[in-house]
Amino acid sequence: MTKFLIKNLSIIFFIFVPIFFLWHPNWLGFLGVQPYWPLFWLLPWSMINGSIKGLIFGLFLGLILDSLTIDSDFTQIPGLILCGFLFGRIKLHRDNLLGHFRFGLICSFGSFLCGTIYFLQILFNNFSDSTYLLFIPSLQNILAEVFLTGFFAPLICSQILRMFKFSRRKVY
Amino acid sequence: MIDVRRISNSRWWHNKKNWILFGIFLFLVFVRISKGSIYKDFYYFISKPFWPGEFQKEVILKSLNQESLINLSLLKKDNIRLREILSLQESSNNDNISATVISRKTGSWWRQIILNKGSKDGVEIGDSVIGPGGLLGRVNNTSLFTSSVTLLTSPESKVGVWVDRIQINGLLVGIGNDYPNLILYSKNAELKVGDFVSSSPASSLLPPNIPIGIVQSIDEPFKAKKMAKISLLAKPQAIDWVQILKVKI
Repeated sequence: MTKFLIKNLSIIFFIFVPIFFLWHPNWLGFLGVQPYWPLFWLLPWSMINGSIKGLIFGLFLGLILDSLTIDSDFTQIPGLILCGFLFGRIKLHRDNLLGHFRFGLICSFGSFLCGTIYFLQILFNNFSDSTYLLFIPSLQNILAEVFLTGFFAPLICSQILRMFKFSRRKVY
Repeated sequence: MIDVRRISNSRWWHNKKNWILFGIFLFLVFVRISKGSIYKDFYYFISKPFWPGEFQKEVILKSLNQESLINLSLLKKDNIRLREILSLQESSNNDNISATVISRKTGSWWRQIILNKGSKDGVEIGDSVIGPGGLLGRVNNTSLFTSSVTLLTSPESKVGVWVDRIQINGLLVGIGNDYPNLILYSKNAELKVGDFVSSSPASSLLPPNIPIGIVQSIDEPFKAKKMAKISLLAKPQAIDWVQILKVKI
Protein backbone atom coordinates (compact mmCIF):
# COMPACT_ATOMS: atom_id res chain seq x y z
CA MET A 1 0.00 0.00 0.00
CA THR A 2 2.77 2.41 0.99
CA LYS A 3 4.66 1.49 -2.18
CA PHE A 4 1.58 2.15 -4.24
CA LEU A 5 1.07 5.53 -2.56
CA ILE A 6 4.70 6.56 -3.06
CA LYS A 7 4.63 5.40 -6.67
CA ASN A 8 1.48 7.40 -7.41
CA LEU A 9 2.30 10.41 -5.26
CA SER A 10 2.00 12.83 -8.16
CA ILE A 11 -1.45 11.51 -9.09
CA ILE A 12 -2.61 11.72 -5.48
CA PHE A 13 -1.47 15.34 -5.40
CA PHE A 14 -3.26 15.86 -8.70
CA ILE A 15 -6.52 14.75 -7.06
CA PHE A 16 -6.02 17.28 -4.29
CA VAL A 17 -5.56 20.27 -6.63
CA PRO A 18 -9.32 20.78 -7.22
CA ILE A 19 -9.94 20.36 -3.48
CA PHE A 20 -7.55 23.25 -2.79
CA PHE A 21 -9.17 25.18 -5.60
CA LEU A 22 -12.57 24.77 -3.92
CA TRP A 23 -11.26 25.27 -0.39
CA HIS A 24 -10.54 28.97 -0.94
CA PRO A 25 -9.60 29.95 2.62
CA ASN A 26 -10.12 33.66 3.19
CA TRP A 27 -7.12 34.02 5.49
CA LEU A 28 -4.78 32.92 2.69
CA GLY A 29 -6.15 35.42 0.22
CA PHE A 30 -5.25 38.94 -0.76
CA LEU A 31 -8.01 41.32 -1.90
CA GLY A 32 -10.30 38.29 -1.89
CA VAL A 33 -8.11 36.52 -4.45
CA GLN A 34 -6.37 33.18 -3.94
CA PRO A 35 -3.12 31.85 -5.41
CA TYR A 36 -3.65 29.91 -8.61
CA TRP A 37 -3.35 26.44 -7.08
CA PRO A 38 -3.09 24.26 -10.25
CA LEU A 39 0.23 25.86 -11.22
CA PHE A 40 1.87 24.62 -8.02
CA TRP A 41 1.27 21.06 -9.20
CA LEU A 42 1.72 21.65 -12.93
CA LEU A 43 5.17 23.25 -12.70
CA PRO A 44 6.99 20.38 -10.91
CA TRP A 45 5.10 17.78 -12.97
CA SER A 46 6.01 19.39 -16.29
CA MET A 47 9.62 20.01 -15.24
CA ILE A 48 10.06 16.31 -14.49
CA ASN A 49 7.94 14.80 -17.27
CA GLY A 50 8.46 17.23 -20.15
CA SER A 51 6.33 19.42 -22.39
CA ILE A 52 4.00 16.81 -23.88
CA LYS A 53 2.94 15.35 -20.54
CA GLY A 54 2.73 18.89 -19.15
CA LEU A 55 0.41 19.83 -21.99
CA ILE A 56 -1.78 16.76 -21.50
CA PHE A 57 -2.08 17.21 -17.74
CA GLY A 58 -2.68 20.92 -18.23
CA LEU A 59 -5.68 19.90 -20.31
CA PHE A 60 -6.83 17.42 -17.64
CA LEU A 61 -6.51 20.03 -14.89
CA GLY A 62 -8.38 22.52 -17.01
CA LEU A 63 -11.19 20.05 -17.60
CA ILE A 64 -11.58 19.30 -13.90
CA LEU A 65 -11.40 22.93 -12.81
CA ASP A 66 -13.84 24.01 -15.50
CA SER A 67 -16.27 21.45 -14.18
CA LEU A 68 -15.99 22.98 -10.70
CA THR A 69 -16.61 26.54 -11.78
CA ILE A 70 -20.00 27.48 -13.12
CA ASP A 71 -18.89 30.02 -15.71
CA SER A 72 -19.83 27.85 -18.65
CA ASP A 73 -18.76 30.43 -21.23
CA PHE A 74 -15.15 30.71 -20.09
CA THR A 75 -12.48 28.06 -19.75
CA GLN A 76 -9.15 27.68 -17.99
CA ILE A 77 -7.94 25.03 -20.43
CA PRO A 78 -5.95 27.24 -22.89
CA GLY A 79 -3.96 28.89 -20.10
CA LEU A 80 -3.15 25.63 -18.36
CA ILE A 81 -2.20 23.86 -21.62
CA LEU A 82 0.14 26.70 -22.52
CA CYS A 83 1.65 26.71 -19.03
CA GLY A 84 2.06 22.92 -19.04
CA PHE A 85 3.88 23.09 -22.37
CA LEU A 86 6.12 26.02 -21.40
CA PHE A 87 6.94 24.63 -17.96
CA GLY A 88 8.04 21.38 -19.61
CA ARG A 89 10.77 23.23 -21.47
CA ILE A 90 12.37 24.47 -18.25
CA LYS A 91 15.42 22.54 -17.15
CA LEU A 92 15.93 21.56 -13.53
CA HIS A 93 18.42 23.86 -11.88
CA ARG A 94 21.24 22.63 -9.69
CA ASP A 95 21.45 25.71 -7.52
CA ASN A 96 18.72 25.15 -4.94
CA LEU A 97 18.41 28.72 -3.72
CA LEU A 98 18.20 30.10 -7.23
CA GLY A 99 15.75 27.31 -8.05
CA HIS A 100 13.40 28.34 -5.24
CA PHE A 101 13.18 31.93 -6.47
CA ARG A 102 12.91 30.78 -10.06
CA PHE A 103 9.77 28.82 -9.11
CA GLY A 104 8.25 32.06 -7.86
CA LEU A 105 8.99 33.92 -11.07
CA ILE A 106 7.83 31.10 -13.35
CA CYS A 107 4.57 30.61 -11.43
CA SER A 108 3.93 34.37 -11.44
CA PHE A 109 4.40 34.38 -15.20
CA GLY A 110 2.11 31.34 -15.56
CA SER A 111 -0.55 32.93 -13.39
CA PHE A 112 -0.34 36.14 -15.42
CA LEU A 113 -0.73 34.11 -18.63
CA CYS A 114 -3.75 32.15 -17.35
CA GLY A 115 -5.36 35.26 -15.84
CA THR A 116 -4.92 37.28 -19.02
CA ILE A 117 -6.35 34.53 -21.23
CA TYR A 118 -9.34 34.17 -18.92
CA PHE A 119 -9.87 37.93 -18.85
CA LEU A 120 -9.75 38.11 -22.66
CA GLN A 121 -12.47 35.48 -22.84
CA ILE A 122 -14.68 37.49 -20.45
CA LEU A 123 -13.94 40.64 -22.45
CA PHE A 124 -14.90 39.12 -25.81
CA ASN A 125 -17.95 37.44 -24.36
CA ASN A 126 -19.33 40.60 -22.72
CA PHE A 127 -18.29 43.06 -25.38
CA SER A 128 -20.60 46.06 -25.06
CA ASP A 129 -20.59 49.75 -24.15
CA SER A 130 -19.95 48.95 -20.51
CA THR A 131 -16.97 46.67 -21.17
CA TYR A 132 -14.61 49.24 -19.69
CA LEU A 133 -16.15 48.57 -16.27
CA LEU A 134 -14.54 45.14 -16.26
CA PHE A 135 -10.99 46.47 -16.67
CA ILE A 136 -10.14 47.65 -13.15
CA PRO A 137 -11.52 44.67 -11.17
CA SER A 138 -9.95 42.28 -13.67
CA LEU A 139 -6.56 43.97 -13.51
CA GLN A 140 -6.78 43.84 -9.73
CA ASN A 141 -7.63 40.12 -9.90
CA ILE A 142 -4.71 39.36 -12.21
CA LEU A 143 -2.16 41.33 -10.17
CA ALA A 144 -3.30 39.91 -6.82
CA GLU A 145 -3.22 36.38 -8.23
CA VAL A 146 0.23 36.91 -9.77
CA PHE A 147 1.57 38.24 -6.49
CA LEU A 148 0.13 35.44 -4.35
CA THR A 149 1.11 32.66 -6.74
CA GLY A 150 4.66 33.99 -6.97
CA PHE A 151 4.80 34.41 -3.20
CA PHE A 152 3.81 30.84 -2.34
CA ALA A 153 5.45 29.06 -5.28
CA PRO A 154 9.05 28.88 -3.91
CA LEU A 155 7.77 27.16 -0.78
CA ILE A 156 5.19 24.81 -2.28
CA CYS A 157 6.72 23.96 -5.68
CA SER A 158 10.16 23.09 -4.30
CA GLN A 159 8.59 20.70 -1.78
CA ILE A 160 6.35 19.09 -4.39
CA LEU A 161 9.25 18.76 -6.82
CA ARG A 162 11.33 17.09 -4.11
CA MET A 163 8.50 14.64 -3.38
CA PHE A 164 7.93 13.85 -7.07
CA LYS A 165 11.66 13.17 -7.51
CA PHE A 166 11.61 10.95 -4.44
CA SER A 167 8.60 9.09 -5.79
CA ARG A 168 10.35 8.44 -9.15
CA ARG A 169 13.58 7.36 -7.47
CA LYS A 170 11.72 4.69 -5.53
CA VAL A 171 10.08 3.35 -8.66
CA TYR A 172 13.06 3.05 -10.94
CA MET B 1 2.98 95.25 74.25
CA ILE B 2 1.63 91.76 74.67
CA ASP B 3 -1.99 93.03 74.56
CA VAL B 4 -1.31 94.93 71.31
CA ARG B 5 0.00 91.78 69.62
CA ARG B 6 -3.07 89.81 70.73
CA ILE B 7 -5.40 92.37 69.17
CA SER B 8 -3.60 92.17 65.83
CA ASN B 9 -3.82 88.35 65.94
CA SER B 10 -7.59 88.38 66.24
CA ARG B 11 -8.28 90.01 62.79
CA TRP B 12 -10.95 88.12 60.75
CA TRP B 13 -8.65 87.14 57.92
CA HIS B 14 -6.41 85.38 60.40
CA ASN B 15 -9.26 82.96 61.13
CA LYS B 16 -9.25 79.77 59.02
CA LYS B 17 -13.02 79.20 59.41
CA ASN B 18 -13.75 82.53 57.80
CA TRP B 19 -11.75 81.54 54.71
CA ILE B 20 -13.63 78.26 54.50
CA LEU B 21 -16.95 80.11 54.69
CA PHE B 22 -15.72 82.51 52.02
CA GLY B 23 -14.77 79.55 49.82
CA ILE B 24 -18.22 78.03 50.24
CA PHE B 25 -19.78 81.38 49.41
CA LEU B 26 -17.73 81.63 46.19
CA PHE B 27 -18.68 78.07 45.26
CA LEU B 28 -22.38 78.83 45.77
CA VAL B 29 -22.04 81.97 43.65
CA PHE B 30 -20.49 79.83 40.91
CA VAL B 31 -23.32 77.30 41.25
CA ARG B 32 -25.84 80.11 40.96
CA ILE B 33 -24.17 81.56 37.90
CA SER B 34 -23.84 78.17 36.21
CA LYS B 35 -27.52 77.51 36.95
CA GLY B 36 -26.82 74.36 38.91
CA SER B 37 -25.00 72.53 36.13
CA ILE B 38 -22.51 70.99 38.54
CA TYR B 39 -25.35 69.64 40.66
CA LYS B 40 -27.09 68.25 37.64
CA ASP B 41 -23.94 66.55 36.37
CA PHE B 42 -23.25 65.17 39.80
CA TYR B 43 -26.79 63.85 40.01
CA TYR B 44 -26.33 62.30 36.55
CA PHE B 45 -23.45 60.12 37.79
CA ILE B 46 -25.07 59.30 41.13
CA SER B 47 -28.42 58.28 39.67
CA LYS B 48 -27.06 56.41 36.63
CA PRO B 49 -27.32 52.90 38.13
CA PHE B 50 -30.96 53.50 39.02
CA TRP B 51 -32.18 54.78 35.68
CA PRO B 52 -35.29 53.04 34.40
CA GLY B 53 -34.15 53.61 30.77
CA GLU B 54 -32.33 50.38 29.98
CA PHE B 55 -35.11 48.08 31.06
CA GLN B 56 -37.81 50.36 29.70
CA LYS B 57 -35.96 50.54 26.37
CA GLU B 58 -36.02 46.76 26.06
CA VAL B 59 -39.73 46.65 26.81
CA ILE B 60 -40.47 49.37 24.27
CA LEU B 61 -38.25 47.72 21.60
CA LYS B 62 -39.96 44.40 22.18
CA SER B 63 -43.36 46.03 21.74
CA LEU B 64 -42.15 47.80 18.59
CA ASN B 65 -40.81 44.51 17.20
CA GLN B 66 -44.12 42.79 17.87
CA GLU B 67 -45.96 45.64 16.22
CA SER B 68 -43.64 45.47 13.17
CA LEU B 69 -44.07 41.69 12.92
CA ILE B 70 -47.85 41.99 13.04
CA ASN B 71 -47.75 44.75 10.42
CA LEU B 72 -45.42 42.64 8.26
CA SER B 73 -47.67 39.62 8.54
CA LEU B 74 -50.72 41.69 7.58
CA LEU B 75 -48.89 43.26 4.65
CA LYS B 76 -47.67 39.84 3.46
CA LYS B 77 -51.20 38.48 3.53
CA ASP B 78 -52.40 41.54 1.67
CA ASN B 79 -49.56 41.21 -0.86
CA ILE B 80 -50.33 37.53 -1.51
CA ARG B 81 -53.99 38.34 -1.99
CA LEU B 82 -53.21 41.15 -4.44
CA ARG B 83 -50.67 39.03 -6.34
CA GLU B 84 -53.24 36.27 -6.65
CA ILE B 85 -55.69 38.78 -8.11
CA LEU B 86 -53.04 39.98 -10.60
CA SER B 87 -51.89 36.39 -11.29
CA LEU B 88 -48.24 37.32 -10.57
CA GLN B 89 -45.54 34.99 -9.37
CA GLU B 90 -45.45 34.25 -5.67
CA SER B 91 -43.05 32.70 -3.22
CA SER B 92 -44.01 30.66 -0.24
CA ASN B 93 -42.09 30.04 2.96
CA ASN B 94 -43.04 26.36 2.83
CA ASP B 95 -40.70 25.84 -0.14
CA ASN B 96 -37.58 27.24 1.54
CA ILE B 97 -34.60 24.96 1.95
CA SER B 98 -31.90 25.85 4.49
CA ALA B 99 -28.36 25.10 3.41
CA THR B 100 -24.77 25.60 4.54
CA VAL B 101 -22.04 27.16 2.42
CA ILE B 102 -19.37 24.48 1.97
CA SER B 103 -17.17 26.30 -0.51
CA ARG B 104 -16.99 29.91 -1.47
CA LYS B 105 -15.14 31.75 -4.16
CA THR B 106 -16.01 35.38 -3.63
CA GLY B 107 -12.91 36.98 -5.09
CA SER B 108 -10.96 36.38 -8.27
CA TRP B 109 -12.71 35.38 -11.52
CA TRP B 110 -15.06 32.82 -10.13
CA ARG B 111 -17.74 34.27 -7.91
CA GLN B 112 -19.72 31.31 -6.69
CA ILE B 113 -20.69 29.46 -3.55
CA ILE B 114 -21.36 25.75 -3.19
CA LEU B 115 -24.14 24.62 -0.84
CA ASN B 116 -24.61 21.32 0.95
CA LYS B 117 -28.06 20.70 -0.52
CA GLY B 118 -28.50 19.27 -3.98
CA SER B 119 -31.04 17.69 -6.28
CA LYS B 120 -31.65 15.00 -3.63
CA ASP B 121 -33.12 17.72 -1.40
CA GLY B 122 -35.20 19.19 -4.17
CA VAL B 123 -32.92 22.04 -5.23
CA GLU B 124 -33.39 22.95 -8.88
CA ILE B 125 -31.47 25.07 -11.35
CA GLY B 126 -32.78 28.63 -11.26
CA ASP B 127 -33.79 28.64 -7.58
CA SER B 128 -32.97 31.86 -5.76
CA VAL B 129 -30.58 31.89 -2.82
CA ILE B 130 -30.95 34.43 -0.02
CA GLY B 131 -28.84 35.07 3.05
CA PRO B 132 -29.03 37.50 5.97
CA GLY B 133 -29.53 40.83 4.20
CA GLY B 134 -31.10 39.72 0.97
CA LEU B 135 -30.51 38.04 -2.36
CA LEU B 136 -27.15 36.33 -2.96
CA GLY B 137 -27.61 34.74 -6.37
CA ARG B 138 -29.23 31.91 -8.29
CA VAL B 139 -28.58 28.19 -8.41
CA ASN B 140 -26.70 27.48 -11.62
CA ASN B 141 -25.85 23.85 -11.22
CA THR B 142 -26.86 20.97 -8.99
CA SER B 143 -25.33 17.63 -8.16
CA LEU B 144 -26.92 14.94 -6.01
CA PHE B 145 -25.65 16.45 -2.75
CA THR B 146 -24.52 19.98 -3.68
CA SER B 147 -25.64 22.99 -5.62
CA SER B 148 -23.52 25.78 -7.13
CA VAL B 149 -24.76 29.33 -6.90
CA THR B 150 -23.74 32.13 -9.25
CA LEU B 151 -23.36 35.21 -7.07
CA LEU B 152 -24.80 38.57 -8.12
CA THR B 153 -21.20 39.82 -8.36
CA SER B 154 -20.22 37.29 -11.03
CA PRO B 155 -19.78 38.62 -14.59
CA GLU B 156 -22.22 35.91 -15.64
CA SER B 157 -25.02 37.22 -13.43
CA LYS B 158 -27.74 39.41 -14.93
CA VAL B 159 -31.00 39.88 -13.01
CA GLY B 160 -33.94 42.21 -13.29
CA VAL B 161 -34.34 44.58 -10.34
CA TRP B 162 -36.72 47.23 -9.12
CA VAL B 163 -35.88 50.68 -7.73
CA ASP B 164 -38.82 51.35 -5.46
CA ARG B 165 -38.47 55.12 -4.92
CA ILE B 166 -38.62 56.00 -8.61
CA GLN B 167 -40.71 52.95 -9.54
CA ILE B 168 -38.48 51.78 -12.38
CA ASN B 169 -37.10 48.42 -13.53
CA GLY B 170 -33.41 47.95 -14.21
CA LEU B 171 -30.80 45.29 -14.88
CA LEU B 172 -28.23 44.28 -12.27
CA VAL B 173 -25.03 43.05 -13.93
CA GLY B 174 -22.02 41.60 -12.10
CA ILE B 175 -18.66 42.99 -13.21
CA GLY B 176 -16.31 40.79 -11.22
CA ASN B 177 -15.92 42.96 -8.12
CA ASP B 178 -18.03 43.34 -4.97
CA TYR B 179 -20.20 46.09 -6.46
CA PRO B 180 -22.44 44.98 -9.33
CA ASN B 181 -23.71 47.56 -11.79
CA LEU B 182 -27.29 48.71 -12.04
CA ILE B 183 -28.24 49.67 -15.59
CA LEU B 184 -31.36 51.77 -16.09
CA TYR B 185 -32.44 52.16 -19.69
CA SER B 186 -33.65 55.67 -19.10
CA LYS B 187 -31.28 58.61 -19.22
CA ASN B 188 -33.58 60.82 -17.17
CA ALA B 189 -34.23 58.43 -14.29
CA GLU B 190 -33.82 60.38 -11.05
CA LEU B 191 -31.70 57.83 -9.29
CA LYS B 192 -30.11 58.93 -6.01
CA VAL B 193 -27.34 57.56 -3.80
CA GLY B 194 -29.00 55.54 -1.04
CA ASP B 195 -31.91 54.32 -3.17
CA PHE B 196 -33.06 50.83 -2.26
CA VAL B 197 -32.94 48.09 -4.90
CA SER B 198 -35.00 44.89 -4.68
CA SER B 199 -35.91 42.05 -6.99
CA SER B 200 -38.39 43.10 -9.61
CA PRO B 201 -42.07 42.33 -8.93
CA ALA B 202 -42.43 41.62 -12.63
CA SER B 203 -39.49 39.20 -12.81
CA SER B 204 -40.14 35.66 -13.90
CA LEU B 205 -36.74 34.45 -12.63
CA LEU B 206 -36.77 35.71 -9.05
CA PRO B 207 -39.36 35.89 -6.29
CA PRO B 208 -40.63 39.46 -5.91
CA ASN B 209 -39.45 42.13 -3.46
CA ILE B 210 -36.34 40.45 -2.10
CA PRO B 211 -33.93 43.13 -0.82
CA ILE B 212 -30.77 43.29 -2.93
CA GLY B 213 -28.77 46.42 -2.20
CA ILE B 214 -28.38 50.16 -1.98
CA VAL B 215 -27.15 52.58 -4.64
CA GLN B 216 -23.61 53.54 -3.68
CA SER B 217 -22.57 55.83 -6.52
CA ILE B 218 -24.01 56.96 -9.83
CA ASP B 219 -22.07 57.24 -13.10
CA GLU B 220 -22.65 59.87 -15.74
CA PRO B 221 -25.44 58.93 -18.20
CA PHE B 222 -24.06 57.27 -21.33
CA LYS B 223 -25.96 56.60 -24.55
CA ALA B 224 -29.46 56.71 -23.02
CA LYS B 225 -28.35 54.51 -20.16
CA LYS B 226 -27.84 55.38 -16.53
CA MET B 227 -25.48 53.22 -14.49
CA ALA B 228 -24.87 52.97 -10.76
CA LYS B 229 -22.78 50.90 -8.40
CA ILE B 230 -24.77 48.83 -5.94
CA SER B 231 -23.60 47.89 -2.47
CA LEU B 232 -25.13 44.49 -1.76
CA LEU B 233 -26.94 43.96 1.53
CA ALA B 234 -26.04 40.27 1.80
CA LYS B 235 -22.28 39.71 2.06
CA PRO B 236 -21.38 36.34 0.53
CA GLN B 237 -17.86 36.40 1.97
CA ALA B 238 -19.25 36.25 5.51
CA ILE B 239 -22.41 34.18 5.21
CA ASP B 240 -22.41 30.54 6.31
CA TRP B 241 -26.12 29.75 6.22
CA VAL B 242 -28.46 30.51 3.35
CA GLN B 243 -31.98 29.75 2.24
CA ILE B 244 -32.90 28.40 -1.16
CA LEU B 245 -36.23 29.71 -2.42
CA LYS B 246 -38.00 27.53 -4.88
CA VAL B 247 -39.43 29.57 -7.70
CA LYS B 248 -42.85 28.77 -9.07
CA ILE B 249 -42.91 29.65 -12.71
